[in-house]
Amino acid sequence: MDTQNEFVLQMKNISKSFPGVRALDDVTLNVRPGSVHALMGENGAGKSTLMKCLFGIYHAESGEIFFKGKPVKFHSTKIALEAGVSMIQQELSNVPARSISENIWLGREPTVGFGPFRFLNHRKMREDTRALMTGLDMDINPDEQVGNLSISRQQACEIAKAVSYDASVVVMDEPTSSITETETEHLFKIIRDLRSKGVAIIYISHKMSEIFKIADEVSVMRDGRMVGSYAAADLTEDKLISLMVGREGTNRFPPVESTIGEVKLKVSGLTSANPRSFKDVSFELRRGEILGIGGLVGAQRTELVEALFGLRETVRGEVFIDGKKVKIRSSKDAIRHGMGFITEDRRGSGIFPLLSVSVNTAIPSLEHFQNKLRLLAHRRILAETTKYNEALRTKTPSMATLIQNLSGGNQQKVLVSRWLMTQPDIIIMDEPTRGIDVGAKYEIYMIMADLAKQGKSIIMVSSEMHELIGMSHRIMVLCEGRHTGTLDKSEATQESIMRLAAQFI
Amino acid sequence: MSASKTGVSAATRSFTAGRAFVSKNTNLVTFIILAIVLSLLTHGKALAWDSVQNLLIAESVRAFAALGVGLIIITWGIDLSIGSVVCLVASVSASFAQNPDYAAALYAGKDFPLWLPIVAGILTGAFFGLFNGVLVAYGKLPAFIATLGTMSIAKGAQLIYTRASVVGSLKNTYKDFAQGSVGPIPHLAIFVAIAALIVWIVLRHTRLGTSFYAIGGNKVAARVSGINVEKNLVIVYLFAGALYGIAGTLLSSRLGLANALTANGMELDAIAAVTVGGVSQTGGIGTMSGMIIGVLTLGIINYGMTYLGVDSYYQLLIKGFIIIIAVFFDMKKYARRA
Repeated sequence: MDTQNEFVLQMKNISKSFPGVRALDDVTLNVRPGSVHALMGENGAGKSTLMKCLFGIYHAESGEIFFKGKPVKFHSTKIALEAGVSMIQQELSNVPARSISENIWLGREPTVGFGPFRFLNHRKMREDTRALMTGLDMDINPDEQVGNLSISRQQACEIAKAVSYDASVVVMDEPTSSITETETEHLFKIIRDLRSKGVAIIYISHKMSEIFKIADEVSVMRDGRMVGSYAAADLTEDKLISLMVGREGTNRFPPVESTIGEVKLKVSGLTSANPRSFKDVSFELRRGEILGIGGLVGAQRTELVEALFGLRETVRGEVFIDGKKVKIRSSKDAIRHGMGFITEDRRGSGIFPLLSVSVNTAIPSLEHFQNKLRLLAHRRILAETTKYNEALRTKTPSMATLIQNLSGGNQQKVLVSRWLMTQPDIIIMDEPTRGIDVGAKYEIYMIMADLAKQGKSIIMVSSEMHELIGMSHRIMVLCEGRHTGTLDKSEATQESIMRLAAQFI
Repeated sequence: MSASKTGVSAATRSFTAGRAFVSKNTNLVTFIILAIVLSLLTHGKALAWDSVQNLLIAESVRAFAALGVGLIIITWGIDLSIGSVVCLVASVSASFAQNPDYAAALYAGKDFPLWLPIVAGILTGAFFGLFNGVLVAYGKLPAFIATLGTMSIAKGAQLIYTRASVVGSLKNTYKDFAQGSVGPIPHLAIFVAIAALIVWIVLRHTRLGTSFYAIGGNKVAARVSGINVEKNLVIVYLFAGALYGIAGTLLSSRLGLANALTANGMELDAIAAVTVGGVSQTGGIGTMSGMIIGVLTLGIINYGMTYLGVDSYYQLLIKGFIIIIAVFFDMKKYARRA
């Protein structure tokens, strides 16, 4: 058969590297018109990177893209949209304070007038919107402000916008991550409708049940490579999971040789003040133990540890440290109770880019470095921060160097030093090796193993399966804010974690 | 041959060292160059001691305002209420220092102790600082808007309190406070030096100062690190308010009166001065010495232009350009952060 008719979109042999990572390695994706093509893979498998290459947000180093048989190179989402390739993003990008019709025709509003005097033709916009909505069987008032709509309705508007551009390919990135089940049904109805009109849909999701309900074809990615494309009818859930996680074992982790002691931290029934976040989470953490927390995007792992550290409000639940009930309402309380927190977003909530390595290390400990006049004891601070950073082998020209001039791995070591200096018993590490190169990763693992050996308790949130299995004594898995199970190191496999992580989906 | 080689490299070395010094102390170097240029243009007359004394007296009140707003800008805030608050403070302090036999005095016939105008002035400034701080920290209002509102409130309060009249005929004992000098050094310069020293200690040697830098540099990380962001923001606005209080009190004492135009536009002068002095609008950057050098730089530009007979309208115009150029380079320097 002529490929020109067979595929509406072809991405051939796409490769893309970032410093230290091969994000995409010779990836090929073929999408048929009038089909729903699911793109699956673990967090970090390369799905989003591939889509960003399609829309020109990233530039692939090699490979070609064919759209309707012709080679194309989109330089922005707008150009892609005008050509007929549209993206419904996870985070919706509309103008909340404007009406639905204004949003749909944004940037290409019909006008009336003559010469340079053009005025918006609101009537035409409204009528076109109404026609569009009727075509999609959607009951929506074009004059409604977008900000007043529910998330699923906003999504529907984005889809309508895509249709208005006569899109032949619509990419949906986790479209159901923030909508309810009935809303999902409605979305599926729209998707089926589009499919019957010959539109191809690339559907990115973690949710197994949805995939089998809606997809015609499934392409699976792993570690930046395309594992393969399969007809959905030929797959089972088990088969799909094993394709996603692969089979290879790795030896990238140091042994964790610690003695597990008595219970250090006990959490029971912890429930977030935000009804969409975690509910009724209970667990125990022992001395010398590394407890991994796994789950998919949206599992509320970060929210849970932030709440433990006093950064988010909870409405129910109790926290015990050494058997004593504690109230942690702020990070200050948490620090006082011997907790440290290395956040997931190093730039956003970790480093103070314009302050020195030394001050960055000392900040939460400063109250212990004041003289009788409450002035800072600079010499003692320098000595102590140097000691901690040398112990972790932070590479820095001097302690006075601004932290922004250090590499990601070394910044991370400074942050670890920061929290070790507060002498915590419980250390929370949220994605401790995100965005740092392989060598530095191993060093961070060594530090973790060493801390556990010293009897510290560690909570590690991670999206990397290998890391969870390689470093944790036990792995607690969350799914949509609920605790779906805890696996011992002996029973933890990528499959068993994935099953718990997708339990409610 | 080899001798000339070392000579070259020594010259290169000292050149490199010099360049490093210049790039590290751009503000100071700018100030010195301006001073030299002015001296040359006036054959040294402009920088004779009594001229310098005038410069110090003229700039000292502004220096208090600059130190206050400088701290606020370090925490990534801003304060537009300075001019109105200083004006109100000047009026309040003046009203308690009027000659008791002055018939048009606000409290005619009453002779208040000398400490009262000073305490009342500082408390008034501190109160408005506290108000701003609470709005910004707990009310989560953008500092620009909160202080814009305060600007109007303070101005209204001043007009109501003084019934839109001049608060004049101040006691000589009160005026001596700002107009006197110890030997050749004006009182005002001494007060500024004390305030600057305190600001320096706070910024360099206390947890509080470190917290200011941390909040301005990365508010979220500051919160994670156990810093009470709200409390620290209230403190910085309160502290700045107290400095405006001192500024207003000294101003009424120096001028011997206060009216609705006193300290008009001082927020612009203060913000411009600290910006020229290297306090970055992107937050988290700035030093006490930079703030003071900024005040002196703008001062010497003002003074120099007056001395050289530049029309005051043109002075305003030139000052505006200087501010824009300073911020332009500041933004370029830190553009990488964004």
